[in-house]
Amino acid sequence: MESGQEQLVTIGLQPETSVLDAVASSSESSPSTVRAWCYLVWLSMQRQARARQMVLIALSLLIFTFTLVALNTAGGRWTMHRWRAMRGGPNFQQAVDHMQAGAAVASAAAPLGTGVTEAVLTAAQRAMDDSAFAVFSRWMVYSIFVGFLLPIWSLSFATEALGGEREARSLVWLLSRPLPRPAIYAAKFVALLPWVLGFNLGGFGLVCLAAGEPGRQAFALFWPAVAGATLAFAALFHLMSAVFRRPAIIAIVYAFFLETVLGSMPGYMKRISVGFYTRCLMFDAAQDHGLPPPERPSVYLPVDPLTAWTVLLGVTAVLLMVGMVVFARSEYCEDV
Amino acid sequence: MPELLEPADPRGGSGALSVAPPVERALQTEPRPAARVPATAPLEPPLVFERVSKWYGPVIGVNQVTLELRPGVMTGLVGSNGAGKSTLMRLATGQLKPSLGRVRIRGLDAWSAEAKRHVGYCPDVDSFYEEMSGRQFVEAMARLCGYDRGAAVRRAGAALEQVGMAGRAERRLRGYSKGMRQRIKLAQALLHDPELLILDEPLSGIDPIGRQEFVALFRHLVERGKCLLISSHELEELEKLTDHVAIMARGRIAAVGSVAQIRELLDDHPHSILIVSDQPRELAGMLLRLSDVIGVELAEDNRLVVQAKNPKRFFAEFTRLVLEENFQVEHLETLDDSTHAVLGYLLGGGGR
Repeated sequence: MESGQEQLVTIGLQPETSVLDAVASSSESSPSTVRAWCYLVWLSMQRQARARQMVLIALSLLIFTFTLVALNTAGGRWTMHRWRAMRGGPNFQQAVDHMQAGAAVASAAAPLGTGVTEAVLTAAQRAMDDSAFAVFSRWMVYSIFVGFLLPIWSLSFATEALGGEREARSLVWLLSRPLPRPAIYAAKFVALLPWVLGFNLGGFGLVCLAAGEPGRQAFALFWPAVAGATLAFAALFHLMSAVFRRPAIIAIVYAFFLETVLGSMPGYMKRISVGFYTRCLMFDAAQDHGLPPPERPSVYLPVDPLTAWTVLLGVTAVLLMVGMVVFARSEYCEDV
Repeated sequence: MPELLEPADPRGGSGALSVAPPVERALQTEPRPAARVPATAPLEPPLVFERVSKWYGPVIGVNQVTLELRPGVMTGLVGSNGAGKSTLMRLATGQLKPSLGRVRIRGLDAWSAEAKRHVGYCPDVDSFYEEMSGRQFVEAMARLCGYDRGAAVRRAGAALEQVGMAGRAERRLRGYSKGMRQRIKLAQALLHDPELLILDEPLSGIDPIGRQEFVALFRHLVERGKCLLISSHELEELEKLTDHVAIMARGRIAAVGSVAQIRELLDDHPHSILIVSDQPRELAGMLLRLSDVIGVELAEDNRLVVQAKNPKRFFAEFTRLVLEENFQVEHLETLDDSTHAVLGYLLGGGGR
């Protein structure tokens, strides 16, 4: 069959006609680097859509987290009603109920002075009823989402933009075009942003949606911080894909060790993690809604929102520029 | 006088064959600082390697290559796997940077984006954007050259027609045969009508009919003044394409010129052959009677080092002599690396 097809080629081949002949008569505008760059952004966005292993992992994590949050919401576990002061003891709701029952008996015997007890118990009941936002924010958003999901989701897309081309050995098609190398790197980054921002914000939105009312409140307050962190993570992992041949592995190691371990360190060590600045923005946003930071300020040493935004956006810009320089100087001899 | 010039070893090292005065010397007498070269200098050659070396860590890929290609010439680059052909081509297309020396395309640094406007590159990698059709891929490559949609469609169509893929370009690339993929690679190299075409093993996977077509196409491009550098590990294949051949061995250009010229030079070039025999003295005496033997040196362990000209004739006579006189030859080896490589190719063997 193949030889038959090759036979057809004999008829089809036109060595006498050249590309120059074909276009000589047409009024063709001269090639433009800007046009080529814009097309590369569009092409890269399309190619980023191909679901690869890391994106599938990100999707799986999203589905798992969504299910977990939905189950917790269905079980009413976002409030402090079921928390216990000690193992085997009564939960908070049971404790308040017992105290209210005791207060009722006491007030029947001696009505004077029971007003204070009732006020305290009512306040405790109110605090428990309103605790859903605090519990969801601290356990889900600050810990799991910022510490784990956000970096993993970001690296799933960001390491694919260049890493996918390197792995598929298709980088040669870009490097042999008349495009400056820094422009290729920047185009890949720009093409990556809609995907990574869309997935991170969309994923955060879905997780919040599954949490019900506290989730809706958390999304409204925290999405700017998620967007800022996404930019910084995207720039960092994109740089890793320009430097390392196996960027996904390096990025996972970074996410697990540096972000998780350093992000939990006391003092100033945590300041080299992206998660720290993200949490600072979130603490600040939540503080206006009555949710204080989980740790004492003297221990956590948070920075003000302006500093946090400056660091996140500054890191994004600096890493992007470093990546452009690295990519412009690097040879990818094993990948072309 | 061939257009392709190259001193295989700038030090005039052993075994290096050259068919014309070295470009290196010409370059030394005519310094051309990069800063003074205008972006579109019309007199600059399409491709110049100036004392180029390339290391991969401790391994040397290309060693002190000086080479100049001129318009309207098709040059064949032949060498075994690992000889440095692909490295040389990647240096020429700006995929790699030289560790030493300079690679210039029309006076521009080959690493620069501007230089790539003058180059069409057909790499040896077989990776594409597999989800695309052949036409979509070539159009995408045209758009990445900066053409608008209309121009890209026109150029891609013309390039596909030129390589005989116009009727089959709508299929997805992942379903293409090796030959069809080679044609698509060639189409994307032609679409911006470059002055210099760097084609890495372009005939690999092409059937005999297709090869004839490609040969016709390459000749047509040369007639139009294009400069072609085509690599292959088969000299016979390249001989059908062009009379200008550069033989690479161990990162160096071992010989350059037409095949006939190389053969002629090789015949005149005395080279050393190591022979181990059980009767070295008797064999040495017999060998000295052969007309092509210049000298014989007796060494330890029954070894002989023979200086001989005209290797083809020498080996024929040596074989006859050994058979007639019933000598036991335990080992036979050409000692000169470059000569060994050239011999390997000219006599139809390998040689690195």
